[in-house]
Amino acid sequence: MHSIEIRSLIKSFGAVNAVNDISLDIDSGEIFGFLGPNGAGKSTTIMILTTLLKSTSGSALVSGFNVSTQAKQVRQSIGYVQQESTVDEYLTGRENLILQARLNHIPKSEMNARIDEILELIELTDKQHDSVVTYSGGMRKRLDIAGGLLHHPKILFLDEPTVGLDIQTRRKIWEYIKKIHVEFDMTIFLTTHYMEEADQLCDRIGIIDHGKIQVIDTPENMKSAMGNEVISLKFENGNSDEFLSLLHKINFIKKINVENNKLTIFTSNGTEVIPKIFQISSELEIKIISISLTRPTLDDVFISYTGHEIRDEDTKFNKKREHAKMKRLRA
Amino acid sequence: MNSLMYDTYTIFWRELKRYKKSRSGVLIRLIQPAIWIVVIGNTFSGTQPLIQSVGFDGSYIEFMAPGVIILTAIFTSIFGGVNTLWDRRYGFMNKALTSPISRSSIALGKMSAISLISALQSSLIIGIALAIGVTFPNPFMIAPIMLIVILFSMGFSGISVVVAATAKSQETFWGVINFLGMPLFMLSPALFPLELLPNWLATIAKLNPVTYTVLLVREMMTGVSEGGISAILCIGVIIVFVLVMIGLASYVFTREVNKPF
Repeated sequence: MHSIEIRSLIKSFGAVNAVNDISLDIDSGEIFGFLGPNGAGKSTTIMILTTLLKSTSGSALVSGFNVSTQAKQVRQSIGYVQQESTVDEYLTGRENLILQARLNHIPKSEMNARIDEILELIELTDKQHDSVVTYSGGMRKRLDIAGGLLHHPKILFLDEPTVGLDIQTRRKIWEYIKKIHVEFDMTIFLTTHYMEEADQLCDRIGIIDHGKIQVIDTPENMKSAMGNEVISLKFENGNSDEFLSLLHKINFIKKINVENNKLTIFTSNGTEVIPKIFQISSELEIKIISISLTRPTLDDVFISYTGHEIRDEDTKFNKKREHAKMKRLRA
Repeated sequence: MNSLMYDTYTIFWRELKRYKKSRSGVLIRLIQPAIWIVVIGNTFSGTQPLIQSVGFDGSYIEFMAPGVIILTAIFTSIFGGVNTLWDRRYGFMNKALTSPISRSSIALGKMSAISLISALQSSLIIGIALAIGVTFPNPFMIAPIMLIVILFSMGFSGISVVVAATAKSQETFWGVINFLGMPLFMLSPALFPLELLPNWLATIAKLNPVTYTVLLVREMMTGVSEGGISAILCIGVIIVFVLVMIGLASYVFTREVNKPF
């Protein structure tokens, strides 16, 4: 059974389609990662799926309920952990969870047991009576995630779960996500722009850019479709068109990305390909400045589909700009 | 209906928890009304003969103390909705909106919490009034006065929630709220008897729910009614005002929070 079914979903703000005809099925129990640069349409999609935004056209079923006509049922079956921390700073950890439990209509008789259970899971039992003000960023994030889990939703939405956290904390959060996935047997839909995160956590990844899904596959397939090696090469002088067309004729090469005088070549048998590249370049009198051979990362996959590096690390600022843009478009 | 009450209480509980943790604000917010009652109360103490001419036998401070109680209620409740903007900015609103609770319960929970806080602040002003020598002919009136303050604040917090839900920025919110708050207070008999206001001003004042609340609370405190406006009429006006604001706030809030912020 599909946990989420999206059909021809479109959301437009004025003339711009933030989500441009997306169709997607997510299996029950799957961890699905939505990967894309800022402004690609990830957040807009998640806002439609969590009933915060109405789509312009198309449909989406979440846990079998239509997001536009059965919003209440959808809300009962989902947990949503936002990108920013949304816990109340002046309340204690436990008070925050009580609030969350009440918001989700958890019966009073079960409330305390569930809160104890979840506090145990995220290892905050000791700190539960402290104000959240005293919590570190990672602790707040854990509390946020706990809040999303408390009512045992069938589907958990995690919007950029580790943005702004240090490496150790990020890994810790990944562990928690894996743990809760097993423990609660839920579908997890997460957005991220960290390739490593998607690689670590996700059963499948969808890369989205300009409101469209560019590719959906498992992280392994994506990487192997790229060939198992990457040659990065810088050159100067000479006819690059001819150079490229000759390179494409080399058997093992699967894909070449061009950026000015920089080439990223996805290939197999890299050690054999490199001498051939040199042969071609010397024939064309092209000077190779540098060359390297590496294994592909999801970053390479990402760039090969979106054609550019991830834009703007500074999400807060960018989000603001997006909002301003949306506002202008709506006005 | 049951779940609306439950959800309203949830939000009410959260708002009060937040209020309790910000205790330093409580005293700061008392400074202004305290200055009003001490400074304005004494500045205009010479108007006592005028006050007495319309039937009050006490001092000017005793006359205007109910006005300052209502002033406190007006400003506590009309500012109270501002955290709606924070909630939208910092994601609590989205958290509430993606949970199964109804939209109106968020507005109603906030309004109930604001009006209780407003009553608490006003009761502290009553304390100050008593401390500087204002007397109550009937001390048992304090409880019903608090009830009126809660009701009235519920209506005013509705204004605040409507403005906060509609405004997209702090600047807009404060601009509109300052534009509304002071005139609503000034265009009432809070500081001067209704009968002594110029006709045009008295006419405008009679369209203002603040007027009826001031008159009612003053009658409860001093035992003197003004301008032939009965307590029953005052209670009626307050109740209608509150019901309209509850309806309007639920409607506008629900409509506005469904739009992206």
